[in-house]
Amino acid sequence: MKLSRRNFMKYASATTATLLGINLLGCSSRQSTGGVEIGKLSTVVMGYGKDHKLKGGKWGIGFFPKVNTLEKLVEYDLEKDEYKPFLAEKWEVENGGKSITFVLKKGVKFSDGDELTADAVKFTVLWLTANHPLGQETFESADVVDDYTVTIHYKKAEFLNLAKMAEFHMSIMSPSSVSPKGDVKGEWVLPIGTGPLKVADYREGEYAVYEPNVYWYERFGLEPNFEKLVVKFIKDEDTRVMALRSGEVDCLSDYCHGGSDYTPRNQLAPLRQDGYKVFKRGEPLTWVIAFNYTKEPFNNVNARKAVDLAVDRNEVVKIFNSEVYPAETLFIEKAPGIKEAKAQGIVYKPNPDEARRIIKEKGYSNLNVKLIVDKAQGDQILVSQLVQEKLNDVGFNVELEVLESGAYKEKRDSGEYDMRLYYIGGTDRRFYMRLYWRFHPETKWKVYESERTGNLCKKILGEFDESKRRQLLVEFYKAVYEERGVVPLYFDIMTVVTSPKMDMTWDETFKWPNGYEVGEPLFYDV
Amino acid sequence: MYVVRRAVQAVITLLGVSLISFSLLYIFPGDPAEFILSIRYGYEPSAEDVARLREELGLNRPLVTQYLDWLSRALRGDFGMSWTEPKAVMPLILERAQASAELFLATFLISIFFAFVLGILSSIYRDRWIDHLTRMFSMLGISIPSFWLGLVLIWIFSVNFHLLPAFGCCGIKHLVLPVLTWSFSFMAIKTRFIRASVIEELSKEYIVTARSKGLAESAVVLRHALRNALIPIVTYLSMSVSHLIVGSIMVEVVFSWEGLGTLLVKSVFERDFPVVQALVFLSGVVMISVNLVVDLLYTVIDPRVKYGE
Repeated sequence: MKLSRRNFMKYASATTATLLGINLLGCSSRQSTGGVEIGKLSTVVMGYGKDHKLKGGKWGIGFFPKVNTLEKLVEYDLEKDEYKPFLAEKWEVENGGKSITFVLKKGVKFSDGDELTADAVKFTVLWLTANHPLGQETFESADVVDDYTVTIHYKKAEFLNLAKMAEFHMSIMSPSSVSPKGDVKGEWVLPIGTGPLKVADYREGEYAVYEPNVYWYERFGLEPNFEKLVVKFIKDEDTRVMALRSGEVDCLSDYCHGGSDYTPRNQLAPLRQDGYKVFKRGEPLTWVIAFNYTKEPFNNVNARKAVDLAVDRNEVVKIFNSEVYPAETLFIEKAPGIKEAKAQGIVYKPNPDEARRIIKEKGYSNLNVKLIVDKAQGDQILVSQLVQEKLNDVGFNVELEVLESGAYKEKRDSGEYDMRLYYIGGTDRRFYMRLYWRFHPETKWKVYESERTGNLCKKILGEFDESKRRQLLVEFYKAVYEERGVVPLYFDIMTVVTSPKMDMTWDETFKWPNGYEVGEPLFYDV
Repeated sequence: MYVVRRAVQAVITLLGVSLISFSLLYIFPGDPAEFILSIRYGYEPSAEDVARLREELGLNRPLVTQYLDWLSRALRGDFGMSWTEPKAVMPLILERAQASAELFLATFLISIFFAFVLGILSSIYRDRWIDHLTRMFSMLGISIPSFWLGLVLIWIFSVNFHLLPAFGCCGIKHLVLPVLTWSFSFMAIKTRFIRASVIEELSKEYIVTARSKGLAESAVVLRHALRNALIPIVTYLSMSVSHLIVGSIMVEVVFSWEGLGTLLVKSVFERDFPVVQALVFLSGVVMISVNLVVDLLYTVIDPRVKYGE
């Protein structure tokens, strides 16, 4: 056989056609994705950046199911700085804050039909104590007073105990969530809660399928308008947006925790232009420059102040297409005490000339400082580059190290850095929790510590009286500002993007039917 | 004799790989027990908790004893429990292995087929349009990042034409875009390698002899040149098997394909050392096994290769 060009082309074409044919045959024989039937009008498909971890994990199940399948005893109103009844209709603080007795609402049912009783709350407390880092450090025990009254005993006497009850991790779950049922050391099965959704199916790393919890809808006098909510886990943010544009998903939601796995901010405007609905909410989650305040040069307030004065926050937010908000205060304006602090002139404003003067006067000119950033956080690399440019402009010599996540954590934990970007705050329910995690002297993930801020933080977290707490908060903001403990850059947002065919509103996305506004997206009315 | 020698070498290499895998836990500074507890609970553990766990896991024993214990369990497929998931390491890996194998095998077979076709065509029609086209294609394949190509393909086939899914795992329909993306770079390097190997063979004197004897060009290329070029090609292809675990990370991320690549990345980021140890060890085992098989295949490919002489 002579191997002519024609022969080669003939064989190659025939083989290619055969392979393509096999592929196309395969395509037409399958209509589903990942085993989930899609395409029904009553099925809504969502793209989400993180697995829901419905089989549990180090910190329990994911944040999405913690918000949408489980509920808390209390909810937090950030604007009024008030804890409101949710599963508990009232509560009483006892023993100076070391115990709280909660009286539960009657007639609340878990998605499996069992009634919410004091036993279920006690089970949750004991399960968290045995299995969860936050439960271990928080609870001592729980006593059932009667069917609908439970007293929780805490390790410390402080206001933070009440704040913690609105926290994601403290969501109440049915004893049937574990096997054997009610065993606090039992194996985790699936979350069974009183929230609007119940788990129907789950494949780790691929999807979670939820159905309406009819008992929840009855409780609020609503009718569910969907049969299934299929959440597809799509790690890559650009792929998520393209899946929305291709019609494979109907909506996208940011990761409920905030700060990562969100819809790219520079995609929001084009999506709006193309008819997609973008629901956006500002969060008390502030990205800041954190210093290594234990060593030269940033153990000195002047060096930190020079950094603060050098950075223009309006330029920082341009990186995010101005979808996030410049942070002139430590938290967003509706966070407790911020308005009062602002009225007292506690406002972070750029002044590069003053920064230059400080640097020259204090001998920091051309001082080598290291700014580290996690490679996995693409947006923070851009922010770091801008910070580097601004600081070099005023006289520092900033070395930017973009590190793999593991290496970043190593350097962060060992203190081999001068500056890094970090977040304080969180969604509304985390306001006091993050104050604790970031500024309390005894915590691991603190962002800054001084005697003044540490003492104020302790007092805030111990104070039950709202007006006294607010005063302390203002003093705290003042202390952080005067010491330039951190440099706030921008306030993060939480977004949900839906296709034009979906009939959602902002209120339905961020408020419970009773009007309580929460920081995380809700999906009871999709 | 040769087979025994190679098998012994393989066992020695395997022991080296196992030593490296085991050492991963001790490469990082600090006490592994403290490390495990801080990962498990998210905060600094007490000294009593650390001491208890050291005792429980046998970390107080001499390192050699610990290593031998780990190795004996590893050889039985027992790599312990994951530090971040409430499950054993081996089932965790096996769950992902099928998806990775599917993606890898489809990519491997398709790219090898086209690499051979294009490589041979390019070498036969050297410096003609088909050669230029193939070389340009190879350069593009090597230069274009997989994640970018993946997104472009999603944009074309999913967003614009609604022909294929943009993401998701398993099933032929879902395979098309990830395989296309990965094959493009996978194929490009191999095409160049095959082209170079065949061209080298075609320039040798025995090819001139074969042609002067009046053999058909197809016989000259396929039966003589290609067969002699196969040994370096097969060696090179065998090395591609390492991609089974680590080569598809970008493709897996872009297409939400839950395979071993994403598991490895996640485990490294979360410092889930038992999973990382297992993946490193198993990669080594796969590579060593494939190398052994390829060494034995040489005699089949080229009968002139006589082992033990």
